[in-house]
Amino acid sequence: MSILARLFRRGDLHSLAAPYALDALEPDERRRFEKHLKKCEPCAFEVRALAEDAVRLAWSEAAQPPFAMRDRVLSAIRSTPQEPGPLREHAREQTREYTPRLPAHVWGTEPAASRARAPQRRPFFVPFATATATAALVVASLFAVQANQTQDKLKAEQAQAREIAHVLAAPDARATTGADTQGRSIGVIASAAEGRAVVTLSGYDALPSGHVHQLWLMRPNVQPRSLGLFKGDTPLVTTGLDKSATSLAVTVEPDGGSPQPTTQPVVQLALKSVGFGE
Amino acid sequence: MRSTRGGRVGADELLVQVAGGDHQAFEELYGLVSGPVFGLVRRVVRDPAQSEEVSQEVLLELWRSAARFDPGRGSALSWVLTLAHRRAVDRVRSARAAVDREQREARRSHNPAFDQVTEEVEAGLERQLVRRCLDRLTALQRQSVTLAYYDGYTYREVAERLALPLGTVKTRMRDGLTRLRDCMGGVA
Repeated sequence: MSILARLFRRGDLHSLAAPYALDALEPDERRRFEKHLKKCEPCAFEVRALAEDAVRLAWSEAAQPPFAMRDRVLSAIRSTPQEPGPLREHAREQTREYTPRLPAHVWGTEPAASRARAPQRRPFFVPFATATATAALVVASLFAVQANQTQDKLKAEQAQAREIAHVLAAPDARATTGADTQGRSIGVIASAAEGRAVVTLSGYDALPSGHVHQLWLMRPNVQPRSLGLFKGDTPLVTTGLDKSATSLAVTVEPDGGSPQPTTQPVVQLALKSVGFGE
Repeated sequence: MRSTRGGRVGADELLVQVAGGDHQAFEELYGLVSGPVFGLVRRVVRDPAQSEEVSQEVLLELWRSAARFDPGRGSALSWVLTLAHRRAVDRVRSARAAVDREQREARRSHNPAFDQVTEEVEAGLERQLVRRCLDRLTALQRQSVTLAYYDGYTYREVAERLALPLGTVKTRMRDGLTRLRDCMGGVA
């Protein structure tokens, strides 16, 4: 490119304000223009004004979104971590040491007297909306986790996504959720016929390093059996659940998990409503 | 401060609360922005299933990156709709890139450059106002603005479709937007 052309191009950058406000630049141009914006206060001012104008065009198109979208989005955010910003950084400084805040109750074959909100008592056949809501939740958390992962991990995630789809597709798949008083929740979609379940935790603070959430299967007169460790917000897929299972419980354990629970459960969920406990 | 059409003031505060992890605030914000987001995305993307998908992505992104919102640089609703528009345009462009070139040529010769605004009944007054104001633009201003904003074409593509020099299209876009601002009452 000649010097003249280059100079012309630079001078020309200002004229890109309107196409930029309309999202009508190609990626390269957009980047170049954004770089320029950082150095050009009048341009930034003009772009903001033009972008506000463009937004008026958006307002006129407002339309009622599908009703089910609301449920999907609202449940998905429960398992979607937020990017830290200045506000979040500030909040983080005040984070205290992790202490399980749920009431201690005795380990046993029956779940604790329900501290959960109503939903736990309302089992239901997974209607389409719920299944997709849970699927959205699952996909959202997978997505969040996948963002910075290697190819190998991605493959594992994809395999897991297939497993999840498998459970969702089971004819007897049913869902139940339990939440504690702080709104943190555990959700399960299970197929008793296949002995499989997808379990999600949401609303729980990230544990300090060296700790994990471990999932346990509870049966009458038998020691709890480990069903695996939660990795961040990723749902846990479990197999080989037998019909005598009465509840699931989650504890905080040292990295790598424990052979038997060493702490009080942070949350426990009865499985009767999803076809177990016979 | 802007007027409260569509709760502009409320959305700013809500978005700041959302950045602090407030689920309740997000639910309220959803009530304010989901309609405009979905409508805009659908206008650009067209396909209903894909529109829903993109809208969901936008609303999740809103949750994830709420902390990036800077109230000093514009209203929350502009921020949200700018985000929605960009995602919608990205989607429609990648879909277009996949379309066979020949097919594109065929479509180009048949489609009127300015597609009819969809026959929606919601958003009545605002829609009428925007249409009236769009009508007051010159044909080239209107086409330049709507082909870019509603149809997701880059200004180069717009220039090609309208057989105009690039410089002219950029100017028409700018003039079109500022004229809309005047017509709709600018900063109301």
